[in-house]
Amino acid sequence: MSRGSAPPLAWGCLQLLLGAGLAAFSEFVPALLFLASAAPVLVLAAWNRARPAGGEPRLLPAISVPVVVLAVGAALAALGLTAGLWLSLVGAEVALFGAVWLGRELSEERGRAP
Amino acid sequence: MDGSASVALPAERAVGWLASTDHKRTAAKIAVASLFFFGLSGLLALAMRAELAQPGLQLVSDRSYDELFTMHGSGMIYLFLTPAALGLGLYLVPLQVGAAEVAAPRLALGGFWLYLCGGLAMYLGFLTDSGAGSDTWTATIPLSSSTHSPGVGMDLWVIGVALATLGSLLIALTILLTIVRLRAPGMTMLRLPVFSWTMLVTTFMVLASFPVLIVAMGLLLAERHLGGVFAGSTGSIAYQHLFWFYGHPVVYVMFFPFVGAVAEVVATFSRKRFFGYRALVVSLLLFTALSMAVWGHHMFATGAVQNQYFSLTSHLLAVPAGIEYLDLIATMVGGAILFRTPMLFALGFICQFLIGGLTGIVVASPPLDYHVNGSFFIVAHFHYTLFAGSLFGLLAGVHYWFPKATGAMLREGIGKLSFWLLAIGANLTFFPMFLLGFDGMPRRVPDYAPRLGDLNLLSSIGAGVIALGVLAFLANVCVSLRRRVPAGDDPWGAQTLEWATGSPPPRHNFDSLPPIASYAPLLDRREAREGAPA
Amino acid sequence: MSTRQDFDGLFSLYLGIGIAVAVVVFATVAFVLIRYRAREGRVPSTRSEANTLEVGAAALIVAVVALLLFRTFSTEAKEDSSSAEPVRIDVTAFQWGWRFDYPGQGVSVVGNSNDPPAFAVPGDRPVHFSLTSTDVIHAFWIPEERFKRAAIPGRVNDFDLTFETPGGEEGLCSEFCGLRHSGMRFDVWVLSDESYERWMAAHR
Repeated sequence: MSRGSAPPLAWGCLQLLLGAGLAAFSEFVPALLFLASAAPVLVLAAWNRARPAGGEPRLLPAISVPVVVLAVGAALAALGLTAGLWLSLVGAEVALFGAVWLGRELSEERGRAP
Repeated sequence: MDGSASVALPAERAVGWLASTDHKRTAAKIAVASLFFFGLSGLLALAMRAELAQPGLQLVSDRSYDELFTMHGSGMIYLFLTPAALGLGLYLVPLQVGAAEVAAPRLALGGFWLYLCGGLAMYLGFLTDSGAGSDTWTATIPLSSSTHSPGVGMDLWVIGVALATLGSLLIALTILLTIVRLRAPGMTMLRLPVFSWTMLVTTFMVLASFPVLIVAMGLLLAERHLGGVFAGSTGSIAYQHLFWFYGHPVVYVMFFPFVGAVAEVVATFSRKRFFGYRALVVSLLLFTALSMAVWGHHMFATGAVQNQYFSLTSHLLAVPAGIEYLDLIATMVGGAILFRTPMLFALGFICQFLIGGLTGIVVASPPLDYHVNGSFFIVAHFHYTLFAGSLFGLLAGVHYWFPKATGAMLREGIGKLSFWLLAIGANLTFFPMFLLGFDGMPRRVPDYAPRLGDLNLLSSIGAGVIALGVLAFLANVCVSLRRRVPAGDDPWGAQTLEWATGSPPPRHNFDSLPPIASYAPLLDRREAREGAPA
Repeated sequence: MSTRQDFDGLFSLYLGIGIAVAVVVFATVAFVLIRYRAREGRVPSTRSEANTLEVGAAALIVAVVALLLFRTFSTEAKEDSSSAEPVRIDVTAFQWGWRFDYPGQGVSVVGNSNDPPAFAVPGDRPVHFSLTSTDVIHAFWIPEERFKRAAIPGRVNDFDLTFETPGGEEGLCSEFCGLRHSGMRFDVWVLSDESYERWMAAHR
């Protein structure tokens, strides 16, 4: 087993155990919450096992402006939920622009990978 | 830094900082932003203590006071201590595991910007008609519904909290991926440095609990705009379950990285490797798993949760906590202890966090919690853990790793002064609160019974001393950066890989790595060179 | 045994153990700092593991925790027992005041932050409270009885209290509930049986 997966797997199992304990005290909804929360950690452990980290160097740009644009756009879109539809639309446009730009940046990187 | 930085245009330099994929720069941005929010939220606390210095309402209105304590607590938790903990990990983990970069650097960069936008949105509430969020950092239903707390300011708080939490979640994910996937050859999981282990278990808690808060905030926003989400008493209780499921683990997110920093500092300044590593690893896994199972203790007084289960799990936290204390002290036993500023802050953490932790066991008992919950006793408890504990741990880490990150040493004299001011200030401010709460002072009140005036005055004076301590720290940083004393690669004679490269490290972190055979590779190398000590 | 006495007994145990632990830790740290401070010729030891010690320490802490849990659970079991005793009071919290009804007795007291209410209870007898709220979550706290419980809209929380010390006691709201949260006070008069009957008659 990829060694890196062991701690998240162990931790996820502890979560399932504790969740079972809660279910035994018949707090069913909180127990469900508990079991659901173990999912991201277990999924990560499984994914890491399925796709072990390669050793090859990766190409990375020094800066990535599209990520910033995407993040700020998403934030504005979220704020538009209270400020008004106009802000959500502006934010979504900015985020979309950022996402497309990011996609191009990523494919350029893959194209230039050694 | 490469030479091109000095001839770049100011605009290029700005973009180079704001959009850098370098985990060290992203972490630096997090440090600056979290310090900014610490300052804002700290000023709010000073305003609160100024009001509370005497009985009666002198300085602020009831309404303003509600905004003060809400934004103080929210700012400190969502915008300062949580991001600072993750930012410390973002800076150090790739260096500690011998990686050239964090895994998914763009995710970390995006996370920072989401966090910053969220924080600014929350504080923007002060400029709205309805004012900033004013329903405590927990925003309990039904108080936080649009019936009782209408207005844009509260909405901005809800969305801001969700954004800041999402940003923190993304940063934590990159740290987790780095540890799991990018360790240098030879660094097995059981050779991971202590600080990186504490970061690893922190990221587990983040991954498990932060999404729940984001969902809770989304549902709260829907409740405020559409209604009918959290209906009736089951709705209010359900909200509390969702909130505290995040609300408890987050306080451990604001603890573990700093106990990790303290562990590194104690080991280095005792000139010994950390004691009881395997026991620590087991206790970290158990402690953080258990910390996900205690949240109901915030709801003992509602009568709506299984008190016995949550009391049991809450009491059990004492076991791994005790092991960690044993290991910290045993690391010092047999050592050759140096009392430099980082070590002072680490010792302050050890002694002061203990008070917070022991009072935590008190409130793990429902009959005892029934009296002290919702009072200043609890306020004292969590300020001992978070301020006198975690913040001191953060300062231990900052004073320890500042030379590595900047290439300059911090001044010892001012450092020690700031330590004593903060230690005296913290105890003067928060210890009286135990007595005040026990004697019947509820929390979240701008006014109180006249008999409680003397202790409140003492506490407010303490807050002033804390402010002086903070100023001393900031002065230390400014002076040390202006008139630099070069640090070199390893000014402390430390043990872990981040000290095996330049100060500050180059963009790619390492030119070469020493052999890795334990969690203290540099200590191994030193011992091999000097021959085994007598 | 009143709630207050239960609390005091349990709290002394926790406080005692807490202080003992703190003293041991502080003394150990102080000793270690002095004994093992860096001095000329001091060579640090290389010992870094003692698993028996760790297991032993964990076992000791588990034993202490077990004691605390046993005492906590037995105290809690006493408090949760609600019985149908003669004195019943329905408490309703609202923004920003309190209403106390004595069902079947025709007595009702209400007040707010401008004019806090006061209600009476007989001493040395269990008083059964039924607590709720009409708007947001509040909490009913009588510090001198060492007890509080949340007042949740749509839900009734039942509990018993036995008041032993005659005289007046202060009551507060201890769950933030909005603007006038700090003014949401009430008073409790713990009276002898005769004074209590007179008070009831006067308030009918």
